[in-house]
Amino acid sequence: MALIFPKSTDKYVKIGAAVLGLLAAGGGALAMLVGYPKVIMTGYQPVQPVPYSHKLHAGDLGMDCYYCHYTVDKSSHAAVPPTEVCMNCHTRVKANSPRLEKVRGSYETGKPIEWVRVHRVPDYVFFNHQSHVKAGVSCISCHGRVDQMIEVKQVEPLNMGMCLDCHRNPAPHIRPADQVTNLAWKPDRDPAEIGREIIQARGINPPEYCSGCHR
Amino acid sequence: MIQITKKLTGKKYWRSLDQYYQTTEFQDWLNKEFPTQAQEMIDEPSRRNVLKLMAASFALGGLTACRRPVEHILPYSRGVENLIHGKPLFYNTVMSLGGSATGLTARTYEGRPTKIEGNPDHPASLGATRGYHQASVLSLYDPGRMPNVRGDGKDSDWNGFTSYVQTLSGSLGNGAGLRFLSEPMNSPSFTAVKKHALTRFPAAKWVEYSPIHTTATAQPVAPRIAFDKAAVVVALDSDFLGLDDTTVVAVKEFVRGGRKVTDENPLMNRLYAVEPQFSVTGAAADHRFRMKSSEIAGFAGALLSAVQSQELKVVGQGNSSADKALSAIAKDLAANRGKSVVVAGPRQSGAVHQIVHQINQALGNVGPVVTYLKPASDQTRPQLDALKELAGEMANGQVNTLVITAWNPAFNAPADLEFEANLKKVANVIYLAQDLDETAMASKWAIPAAHYLESWGDAVAFDGTASIQQPTIQPLHGGKTAAELVAFVSGYKDLKAYDIVRNHWLPVVGGEKAWKKALHDGVIRPAAAVAGSAAPVFDTATPAPPTGGYEVIFVPSWSVFDGRFVNNAWLQETPDPMTKLTWDNAALVSQATARKLAVAMGDVIAIERNGRKVEGAVMIQPGLADDTIVIPVGYGRTKVGQVGEGAGFNAYKIRTSDTFGYGGGFNVSKTGRVYPLARTQEFEYQEEPKLVGFQEDVVRPIVREGTIEEFKKNPHFATEMVEHPPLKSLYGDYDYSKGQQWAMAIDLNACVGCNACMVACVAENNIGVVGKEQVARGREMHWIRMDRYYTGPVDEPQVVTAPIPCMQCETAPCENVCPVAATVHSPEGLNDMVYNRCVGTRYCSNNCPYKVRRFNFLNWHINEAEVTKMVYNPEVTVRMRGVMEKCTYCVQRIQNAKIDAKVEGRRWLKDGEVTPACAQACPSDAIVFGNVNDLESRVAKMKVSPRNYGMLAELNTKPRTTYLAKLRNPNPELQPVTAAEEHHG
Repeated sequence: MALIFPKSTDKYVKIGAAVLGLLAAGGGALAMLVGYPKVIMTGYQPVQPVPYSHKLHAGDLGMDCYYCHYTVDKSSHAAVPPTEVCMNCHTRVKANSPRLEKVRGSYETGKPIEWVRVHRVPDYVFFNHQSHVKAGVSCISCHGRVDQMIEVKQVEPLNMGMCLDCHRNPAPHIRPADQVTNLAWKPDRDPAEIGREIIQARGINPPEYCSGCHR
Repeated sequence: MIQITKKLTGKKYWRSLDQYYQTTEFQDWLNKEFPTQAQEMIDEPSRRNVLKLMAASFALGGLTACRRPVEHILPYSRGVENLIHGKPLFYNTVMSLGGSATGLTARTYEGRPTKIEGNPDHPASLGATRGYHQASVLSLYDPGRMPNVRGDGKDSDWNGFTSYVQTLSGSLGNGAGLRFLSEPMNSPSFTAVKKHALTRFPAAKWVEYSPIHTTATAQPVAPRIAFDKAAVVVALDSDFLGLDDTTVVAVKEFVRGGRKVTDENPLMNRLYAVEPQFSVTGAAADHRFRMKSSEIAGFAGALLSAVQSQELKVVGQGNSSADKALSAIAKDLAANRGKSVVVAGPRQSGAVHQIVHQINQALGNVGPVVTYLKPASDQTRPQLDALKELAGEMANGQVNTLVITAWNPAFNAPADLEFEANLKKVANVIYLAQDLDETAMASKWAIPAAHYLESWGDAVAFDGTASIQQPTIQPLHGGKTAAELVAFVSGYKDLKAYDIVRNHWLPVVGGEKAWKKALHDGVIRPAAAVAGSAAPVFDTATPAPPTGGYEVIFVPSWSVFDGRFVNNAWLQETPDPMTKLTWDNAALVSQATARKLAVAMGDVIAIERNGRKVEGAVMIQPGLADDTIVIPVGYGRTKVGQVGEGAGFNAYKIRTSDTFGYGGGFNVSKTGRVYPLARTQEFEYQEEPKLVGFQEDVVRPIVREGTIEEFKKNPHFATEMVEHPPLKSLYGDYDYSKGQQWAMAIDLNACVGCNACMVACVAENNIGVVGKEQVARGREMHWIRMDRYYTGPVDEPQVVTAPIPCMQCETAPCENVCPVAATVHSPEGLNDMVYNRCVGTRYCSNNCPYKVRRFNFLNWHINEAEVTKMVYNPEVTVRMRGVMEKCTYCVQRIQNAKIDAKVEGRRWLKDGEVTPACAQACPSDAIVFGNVNDLESRVAKMKVSPRNYGMLAELNTKPRTTYLAKLRNPNPELQPVTAAEEHHG
C-alpha cells in the first residue's frame, strides 16, 4: 500500500507533540507562578485619599502603633482611627496644610475619610488581632516594616499557608509584650529562644484546627 | 454476626398519620436523602444559555482575577463612647407582648442590634425568652415596615401631621368625640400620659384591647400561680406552658418545681391536661384527656363537687376517659391540699374561672400556690364590653376622632363589631402603624410606629417590677411611640419619648445615679406593690359561648402570635411545635371529625356561622377533641409585606364577640379545592433504623421514655433499652481526656417543645430562610430542630418533644465520607464544618444518622433587602449556595470566650462562660452545655446520670450531645396505656 504521509511525518508529529507538551508545562508553570498567593497578594499598594506617611509618624516621629490603632489589643479589629485622633495633633501641627484638607473636611462634616483597605483576609476567615497581639505576635509578622513605608504596601501573602506556618511553629514570632509594636526590635539572642520561653510561661497554644479561624 | 434475642422494651413512636399507616408517600420520603426533585434547578437552563454564561464568566474571571476589588475602610469621624469596633455592646431593655413584659438584653454591633437574650435579673424572663422575643429583632429590619407618615391615603411627613393636629385640636373641645384605643396598658409612663390626656379632655374615653390574652375573667385581679409549689396541676383548656402567656415564668417554675428529676431526689410533679386542642401543655402532661371546650365547664363543676364532698364520690358527667378519671384526679388533688392547683385557660368563660377558684379555695391552694395580683392595666371593665361600646359609638357617629395605638384592630377585632366599616364613619382616625396594614388603609392618618428596640419606653412585669425600654438604634423610619403620639395629639407638642419616660421615672427612682443604674440593670427595684384581693370578682355576666354543631377554637399562633409577626420570616418558617406546619395556619381536626367531614389533609373546607364564612385547609391532628376545629388566628392578612403574603386564612372573619375564645354552632362544608401545606416532620427523614437480629418490626428507640416508678426501680432503664454487640471502630480512638471537651446534655423531661431554641439558633447563626415551597421539598435549614413523636392510640396519643442539634459525634460518620476534608474533627471534640472547602457532594448528609446536616440548595440570602442584612451576626459566615452547614455548638461563642480567657491569662473556661444560643434561650433549662472534662460542670454531672443515653449510640457514633430520658408520673389509679392497646392494632 502506498504511504499516504511521507515517512518524515513521524518526525514532525513527535516534534509537534514535544512542543505542545512543553507549552502546556510552561503554561502550567506560569499559571502556578502568577496564581501563587505570594505573587498575586503581595505588593498591593493602593493610593490613599490622604497622603499619610507611616514612615514619618511611626518611624521618624516614633509614635506607637497603639496610639492610632487603639483597639488592636482589645478587639478582633484593629481600628483605623476616627478623624478625631488625627485632629488631636493636627489642630496645632500643620493645621493649615493643604494635604490635610480631607482630614479637616471629615472632622467638620462628620463624613468619614474613605481609606483604601490594604490587608485583607477572606470573609470566612475570622482573624483576631487581640489574641495575637496579647500573645506577643508583633505587627511586623504580618504587616512588615510599616514604620519604613511612606505608603503602606502588603508584603506578606496573608494566605492560609502563612497562618499555619506560624501556628505550627510560633516561637520565632513571639516576643515580650512590650516589644510587640517595636518594629525595629533586635534581641541580643536567638528570638526563637525568647519566643519558646514565653510560650512555655504563658501556655500559648495556637489552634491548628478549622474552627479556630473558620466559623 | 452476633444475634441479639432481647426484645426491646419501651414504647413505639410515630411521627405522623402517614407513618402510622405506612402510606406509600411516607416510604418514598424515607428512602430519599433530600426528598423530591432534589436535583432539579429552579430555572431549567438551556445548553445555549449555559455556554453563553460560561464564556462570559471565563472572560470576566480572566480579567478580574488579576486585580483585587478595591475595598474601603470608613472610620468614624468622631469616636463613639464605649464602642470598641468589633466588640458587641449589650443593652438591657424590655418588650411587651399581649400585655406581658419580658426583660431582655439586646446585643449590638456598631450600633445595630443583632440578637436578643433574656435578662436574668428580670422576674418574667429569668434569662430565657420565647421565639417571639428572639425573632423581634428581625421585625425591626423588616423592609415592609411603615416607611413614612401617610395622610389621606397619600405620603406625607411629620410637618403635615403637625399642622393637621393643630387644626384638629381646636375642634376637640372637652373631648366628647375623642376616643383612644390602645393595647393593654403595662407602661407607667404611658399611663401618666393617658391621665394627662384624659384630664385635658375629660369627656374622652380610653379603651384597651388585645385579641390575645384577654381572659375577661378576673377583674380587677390577675391570677398568679406559683407552679413550682404545686405537686399536682390540673390544666383545664389551659396552655400555661405554651401561649397562654408570652413570658416564660410558668415554664421556668413548672420545670424547676417538678421536672428536674435527680437521682438523689426522684420526685416529680404530676400534670393532668384536659383540653380540646393539643397544646404543648398537653404534650408535657402525665395524663391528657381530650374534651370539647363547651364540656370543660361541666367537668370543672364535677371536679368541684368531688373535692367538696367528703367521700370523693363523683357522678360522672359523660363517657369520656376524662370523666372516668375524674375521681382519681379529685383524690390526687385532695391528697395534695395546699400544694396543688387547678388552672383554666383564657378561652374559658368567667364562670369556669370562678369554679376553678372555688376548687382551689376548697383545696387550700389559694395563698400557698394561687395568689391574685393587681393587673398593670387599670381598665376595670371586660375589654370586649368596652370595645363593643366603642364600635357602637363609632357606628352612631358619636366618635369624631379616634387615636389607635393598638395593633391593627380593623383586622383583629371581633367580626360582629364591623370595625373596619365603622372606622370609615369616623372623621379623624389617627393610627400608629407598624406597617401599611388593614387599619392603616382605613385611617385618615397613619404614623410609623417605633419598634421597641429603637425607642424609649417602660413596662411593668406581673410582680410590679418595672423596666426601662432602652433603645439600641435611632428609629429607622422616624417612628413614634404610642406615648409620644398620644402626648402630641393631646397638646404636649415637644415631648419626646425619652422625656416622657425620664420625667416619669427620675423622681420615682430618685436621681440621676439611680436612673443610670435602672438602665444598666434593666429592672427597677423595689417593685411596686401588686397584691390584689384574695376574693376576686369574676365576670359571670357574660354568657357562655353558644354550643352545638362544630365547635371552633381560636388560638394564638406560635408563628405570628395575633398576626403582627406575619411578615417575620424566622417565625413563619419555624414549624408549629405540634402540627409542624410552616408558613400557614390550618383548620385542625381530629381523625374522626375528618372522616365525618370526608376530608383529607389539605382539603379546603368552608366554616360558616351566621353568614360569616372563611375557607381554609384542613389538617388532621391526632389527639384533638371530636367535632372541634382548632384555628390559629393571625393569618390571611390582606395588606401585608412580601414575606407574609398569601399565608394562611383569616380566622378573625368568623370570630365574633360571643365566640371570642371558642364557640359552637359552626357549619362546615367541603369546597372541593385542595391547598398545599408545608410541614417539616410529617415526612421527617430520620429513619428509625432496624436493629440487626431483631424481629422485623422492632426499631431503635430515638426518644426514650419511662415512668418515675420504673426509674426508681431501675435507674438505668434508658440505657438498657438497647442492647448491641461490642462497639469497635475501624479507626484508632483519639484521646479526648485532655483539654476542654465540649458537650451538651438535653433533658427531655424538662423540654416543653416551645421552639425558642430554634429561633435563637436562626438569629445567632445567620441561618437562611427558604420559604414554603422549599420547606415542602425538605430543604429547611434549621440547625436545631424540634422533633415531636406521638405514642399510643391515634385518637389519644401522648407526645414527646426532642430538640435535635448536631450530635458532634466523636467518631462522626460524616467525616469519613467527605472527599475534600471539609468536615473534620477539632481536638476539643467539635465536628468542624469548613464552608470554604465544601464542594457540595452531600455525602456527609447521606451518612449522618441524625439527619442534622443542612444543604444550601440555593443562595437563600440573595433576595434579602439591604436593611434586613443588618440583622446578620458578624461573627458567623453567611453561607453561599452549594455548601453544607450544621450546628457548630456556637463555635464563635466558644472561640471568643477562649480568647477573652487567654487575655486574662486563664487557659480553662469556667462552667457557664460559654452558652450556645439554644441553651441560653431555653425557658426550661433543658439544654446544658459545657466542658465534659471539668467534672464539676453541670454538663458533666448530667452525663453521669443513669437517665443519660446517646441517641443511636449503638451505631458507635459516640455522640457528644446526649439526652436524659423522658419521665412521666402517671397516677397509679389510672390505667396506663398498655402495650396491647397501642399502635398498629
